[in-house]
Formats: sequence, structure tokens, C-alpha cells
Amino acid sequence: MPKLLLKATVALLCAAPLAPAAAAEGERVTITGEAIDTWCYFSGVMGGPDAVVGSAHHTCALWCSAGGIPVGLLGDDGQVYMVLKIEGDDTSNGGDTQLAIASHQITADGMLYKRDGINYLVVAEVVADDDIVRMTHEDFGTVPGFAIPEPK
Amino acid sequence: MLKYFTAALALLAAPLAAQDFSEGSTAKEWGLYGESPAFFAATVVDPLCELTGDCPDNCGDGRRQLALLRTVDDVMVLPMKNSQPAFTGAANEMLPFCGQAVEVDGLLVTDEELGAQNVYLLQKIRAEGSSDWIKANKWTKEWAARHPEAKGKGPWFRRDPRIKAEIEREGWLGLGLEADAAFLEEWFQ
Repeated sequence: MPKLLLKATVALLCAAPLAPAAAAEGERVTITGEAIDTWCYFSGVMGGPDAVVGSAHHTCALWCSAGGIPVGLLGDDGQVYMVLKIEGDDTSNGGDTQLAIASHQITADGMLYKRDGINYLVVAEVVADDDIVRMTHEDFGTVPGFAIPEPK
Repeated sequence: MLKYFTAALALLAAPLAAQDFSEGSTAKEWGLYGESPAFFAATVVDPLCELTGDCPDNCGDGRRQLALLRTVDDVMVLPMKNSQPAFTGAANEMLPFCGQAVEVDGLLVTDEELGAQNVYLLQKIRAEGSSDWIKANKWTKEWAARHPEAKGKGPWFRRDPRIKAEIEREGWLGLGLEADAAFLEEWFQ
């Protein structure tokens, strides 16, 4: 029995490198979520996750999107989906299409690819754009606090 | 026999566990929750190409986000940030190395609760075999070269024409100028 167990383990060890570490098979999905600045959300550099979404963080979301930080959809399921392409526009590095939807809640129909713990989304069609729905400025003001320059 | 089995299982589990890439790293701390220094060898890839087979020349010539296919374990790491504290991404820093073998140093950011995994702050990059590091801090210089009309004082994001146009149209909160006016009155009281 122990020999059999060892053989099974060795077989597993040998097979492991052959299995794809992360298959990139696409899946058709429809996702509703907010177009967020993923760096501030993941890193916590500006505060907790509730503070870096919606109206409070809109100006910073514009800065980050224009600055080439990846834009993601924060889905209603709490997961982040990195947007690689929208309706044929692959300008995910600071492009106009992604800038125009900063902080908006959109519903996107497209293909989802999962790899190494990251969700990647290729949006075929934006089926709804509900503009900004999280009125976070009511709780947080602006995040960061210096987003709006002091009037002279 | 049991000890061989345990050892074999440990070997099997090793690649699945979070790996430590701090050895050899000289990355500067940012004080982020979940940051860990990470120095590793990789190939610069276009993630859209890797995932879908849509592969334009030169990784999309700067249009696309880029990723790092880590040599040791084939994990695709997504650099989200360059080394400048200026709301700037990492794709431009990697573009000159599209398709090339490189070494990178920076910070991995991991937060299971938020789903942050294999995301990276790139601090420096060099071609494989080179001893000369290149700091990942050229974004603002490139922006200035692209926007001579926006020359002036203050950080780039206060002068960027596209950002200014968005704020002029939708306000700082993105809710329209009327909502902005009411908020500003209170905010700067």
C-alpha cells in the first residue's frame, strides 16, 4: 500500500508541471460594476476600499486612468475585473474610452479570462452606463483630500 | 515510507504556496498594506495577446497594459504602478522591453480580502544580462514631451488637457457643475 501511495504521489508530481499553471479560456459574461482606479483600490494607498470609489474618488480616478493605471470594473460581486478592451478600443493604457467612464457604473457584456488570480475582461458592448451611483463624497469628502485645489 | 510521502507532498505543494521573491531585491518600501519586495526574471508580454491571441506589433505600441510573465513559475504578474508617486502606471516603462527577457525589482501587493494577487509596483527594470538598472520613473517626462502646450507649474495631473476637460464638464465629483458648487461651498468653509 505505501508503495502504491508513493507511486501515486510521484505520478502527481510528474503531471503537475504539464498542467497549465493558469488556463486562459474565455467565458461569456455580463458584469455590472463601477469603473475604478485599481491601484488605489488594491494598494490601500488612499485609504479603505469604501473611500476609493464613487464621487469622493472621482478626480483621483481621472488622474489614475489618464496616468495609465489599469482601470477595472468593481463588480456587484465584489470582484475586480481588469478591462483590457472596450468595444474594439484596446487603449487600456490611459485611453479616452476608459477615461470617459471613470467612476461610472456600467453593465458590460464580454469575455472574461482568469489568470493567476486576476480577472481580465474584454468588453464587447457597454449595454448600460448609469453614470456615478456611489455618492461617497457625502461620507468622505474628496479622497485624497487635496483633490480639489483651494480657491485662491 | 510516510516521511517520503510527506516530502513528496511538500514538493507538490510548494509551487502552489505564495513564493517569496524578496531575495536580491533592493526595492524601496511604500508602507502599503500587503506589500512585499520582489525581484524576479520575466518576459514582458501583452496580456490581451496572451489571453486572446490578439497580438499587434510591439505589444500595441503603448496603447495597451503590459504584464510580466515570471520565468520561474510562468505566473503573469500585472504591474499597475511605476515608481513615481504621481498617479502613473507602469506600461510605458516596460514598452521598450516588449517580448524581451528582463529582470525587475519592485513591490508585489497582496490582499486576499480585496482580491489583490500578482499585482506589482515596478521600481526598476533591466534587460536580462545587463547590469544597468533603468528606474521606472520616466512617465512624467514622456507626458511633458507629448504635451508642450500644458507646460507650467504644478504636477502633470493639474495640467493635463483631458483631465481638465472632464472636470470642466462634469465637475470634481463627476456629478455635474451644480452638485459641485453646493459641495465646494461646504468643503472650503
